[in-house]
Amino acid sequence: MNISVRVIAARLVGSDGPYARAFENLILALIVISVFSVILEATANLPAWATELLRIGEIVIVAVFSFEYLLRLVAAPRKIAFIFSFYGLVDLMSIAPFFLAGLDARYLRILRVLRVLRVLKLQRRVLETTVTQRTRELAELNDVLIEAQKQLRAELDVARALQIAILPSVFPAKAGCDGAARMIPATTMGGDFYDFIELPDQRIGLVMADVSGKGVPAAFFMAVARTNLRELAVHHLDPSECLACANDILCTQNPMDLFVTVFYCIFDPSNGILCYANGGHNPPFLRRAEGSIEVLNGAGGLVLGALPGTTYPSHRVQLRHADRLVLYTDGVTEAFNSAGEAYGTTRLVAEIEAHGDGAAAGLIERICRGVADFAGTAAQSDDITLTVLAWYPPSSP
Amino acid sequence: MNTQLESLGGVTIVTPSGRLDFGAAAPFQSELEKVLAKTPAGLVIDCAGLEYVSSAGLRVFLLVSRGAKRSGIAVVICSLKPAVREVFDVSGFSQIIEICADRAAALAKMPA
Repeated sequence: MNISVRVIAARLVGSDGPYARAFENLILALIVISVFSVILEATANLPAWATELLRIGEIVIVAVFSFEYLLRLVAAPRKIAFIFSFYGLVDLMSIAPFFLAGLDARYLRILRVLRVLRVLKLQRRVLETTVTQRTRELAELNDVLIEAQKQLRAELDVARALQIAILPSVFPAKAGCDGAARMIPATTMGGDFYDFIELPDQRIGLVMADVSGKGVPAAFFMAVARTNLRELAVHHLDPSECLACANDILCTQNPMDLFVTVFYCIFDPSNGILCYANGGHNPPFLRRAEGSIEVLNGAGGLVLGALPGTTYPSHRVQLRHADRLVLYTDGVTEAFNSAGEAYGTTRLVAEIEAHGDGAAAGLIERICRGVADFAGTAAQSDDITLTVLAWYPPSSP
Repeated sequence: MNTQLESLGGVTIVTPSGRLDFGAAAPFQSELEKVLAKTPAGLVIDCAGLEYVSSAGLRVFLLVSRGAKRSGIAVVICSLKPAVREVFDVSGFSQIIEICADRAAALAKMPA
């Protein structure tokens, strides 16, 4: 069978397309005319010219139906199956009486009446139209869903971008301070944040925080926590006071029962004194200029947002020339590789020990690369956030 | 992560095992809420098989201990692995939730 003939046939008797629709309409009109003429012929006492007209009409109809039958046969992938299918038989029945009538005139009337069965051909059209319509509706619905998902994705991306955009991109310019920070967001929306706050007494507030959970609720709570801390920091120049106030406020603005771990410290660039309080956050590291590492693990309090009235003990540490403070979130230490192993504090400490004497931004870059190399192909499940502050007092050589 | 339940007198012992991360938190929470709804005399969460707790997992412990307090149900957590214990200590949760070394010690804290 020539494939192009089959393609043309399929185009005419297929379920969709302009040619198929035109051809269907032609067949539909002929079915109606033919059934109507069968009834007319059987009931009325017609004049001779009308009978002649109906006879010619019948020849035309049978010719077209025969042509249609052949097309369907050609287009059918399995010929035998088509011939014996319901519609195949109906199609055959609608033309067979005409050809059979010539063989034996005694069956003429019965066979002619059988043409009424052509009405069954209508059913194919109804069924095919229904299937086509349902398919189209499903496709439209699917398009709507894909579009909605795309829009949601785009809106989440905007929210994520906004969330990152509100974080300060540079450390405040202070003599003797080399500060840098970086957040690498996880694929899902997380709730890490850091902040640098210029306080009225020339000191600088540093925030490192991690909101529990993920997604839009975490992002919202992050924005609320960050705004409150920034506002309160300017009025409460003691870290423990600032955290206690922030906690009480967050407890009242927390319908989803989220919480946030916050390490908050205030650094005085004029004398190197660092005051800090910890609300349930991973204790930061202090790398001394000669390479030793201290953990700022003075007793902390509960995460913020969980329990009103929580207190946060205040601690103080003296930074010396070329010391470095490293604040981080657990996205660093709990970065997992494909074997399910965590990066861990040991590797982080080793990295800080070995490479902590360069620029702040360089150390951050170094740690991020180390974490990425360790995680390999494993997906990043949590935000990775780091802040490094190095101090070079102006008066020292 | 999967969770096993057993009853000992009026006390329900819940034994989660595996990783309590963001994905596991919601099912674990509803499991514990079902337990609390039956108002047992006490609830012991035996964490011997718990490998990892994320902040979303900690939130479940917070909500459960809060809910239990409201209903007057005693809650004790026990048998924490060192890594998990550290998460409870750093976050300050060990200050607000009673933690015991092992199951026997936890059961001893339960109302008779």
